[in-house]
Amino acid sequence: MAKREIPEINAGSMADIAFLLLIFFLVTTTMDKDQAYIRSIPKKIEVKNDPVEVQKRDILAIKANSQNQLMVRGEVFNDPDKISDFVLKFYQTNQKSAGQLVMNDFPLYSVITTSQIEANIDKILDEIDAMEAAGSPQDQIDFKYNQLAEWEKKQRALKLYGGSQLPEISFQANMRIEVMQATAYSIFAKIQTEIEEAIYELRDKEAQRLWGVSYGTLKRKEANENDKTKVKEEKGKLELLEILYPARIIEVTPKN
Amino acid sequence: MSKFKKEGRKSTPGVNTSSLPDIVFMLLFFFMVATTSKENDPTVQVEQPTGTRAMDLTPFKQRSEVDFLYLGKPRNPARAEAFKMGYALSLDNVVQPTPDGLYNTNAVGQWKKDKFDQKPARMTSPIELVITCVKADKGAPSGLIFDIRKELQNINALTIAYAVRDNSNI
Repeated sequence: MAKREIPEINAGSMADIAFLLLIFFLVTTTMDKDQAYIRSIPKKIEVKNDPVEVQKRDILAIKANSQNQLMVRGEVFNDPDKISDFVLKFYQTNQKSAGQLVMNDFPLYSVITTSQIEANIDKILDEIDAMEAAGSPQDQIDFKYNQLAEWEKKQRALKLYGGSQLPEISFQANMRIEVMQATAYSIFAKIQTEIEEAIYELRDKEAQRLWGVSYGTLKRKEANENDKTKVKEEKGKLELLEILYPARIIEVTPKN
Repeated sequence: MSKFKKEGRKSTPGVNTSSLPDIVFMLLFFFMVATTSKENDPTVQVEQPTGTRAMDLTPFKQRSEVDFLYLGKPRNPARAEAFKMGYALSLDNVVQPTPDGLYNTNAVGQWKKDKFDQKPARMTSPIELVITCVKADKGAPSGLIFDIRKELQNINALTIAYAVRDNSNI
């Protein structure tokens, strides 16, 4: 039989097919990413305890009323962009004088040493042993385990930080967002933005100093990395930054 | 006496379109990579406030660890009057019924629970860590956000996210 030539497939409509697909993707997808501030809600408590006394110097209250006017620490604030500067001041004023008693209106810093951390871990381990031997309720033992985890976190952080001392802001230092029911969401979001900006700046500076990378890079790596050991490494770094500059934000439920 | 012979009328050659599919495919792949699929258009109109340093939720979205709820003005103006201050809550495109003319945030708890039960098996995070992202309009009253927050607290879904439009790092 004679060799028959195979006719070429007509690819003229390929462009049409591709256009069709392209238009489909253009219509069903969007460029903008979903971006948000992630916050945790405190656990619901059944037993109401007496409120803990918190020193005035440890509280940074940011308030907004129903007319969307701002007040930071009792003073009227006209420029919402300045809140982050105030948050920075709140963190940094006494940072240099860690371990000393300073007479001003900002939270104090303390230092913890390697030996103190080790002593605490040993103490808690002994307590857990004693409680387990005595058959204490499980929730009390769990509470001790949580404490132990906190101290171990600090131990890891200090190792990463270098030296033998870890400066720590007062454990009660917190930022409060107090809005009213009618306050616009944009104001609420603005306060969150300003706090986030200040915290980012502080942690970023520390990350640059310690490892020469930006805080944003660390966070992205932690979120997108698949390698387990690498994730752990990045997590440790983030933990240290969180211990140095904890973001304790209290969102106060509005009453009116 | 010309050296050049005058040729007959020349027809312009057609443009070669054989690389057109390649160009279009290139565009197609660009859009496939650079964009994410759109959520259903919510039945409420949300104009988000701007912010900076916000967390990108894409990795959480890929792991289906985030649920979105919308808080804005109803697109149907006839319905807007039924809501206090003109804002309504949209859960999966269902604008919540408002028997007493107020918002009904009571549905949030049940909605979140149902969502959590429907998650794919590969999602292993406990409900405490599954993010609930509130996409609220600029002018939405904050009191409503706190109502939602309370509902979430009741069912122990303890991670909330406040959405903003972040123009700083695109």
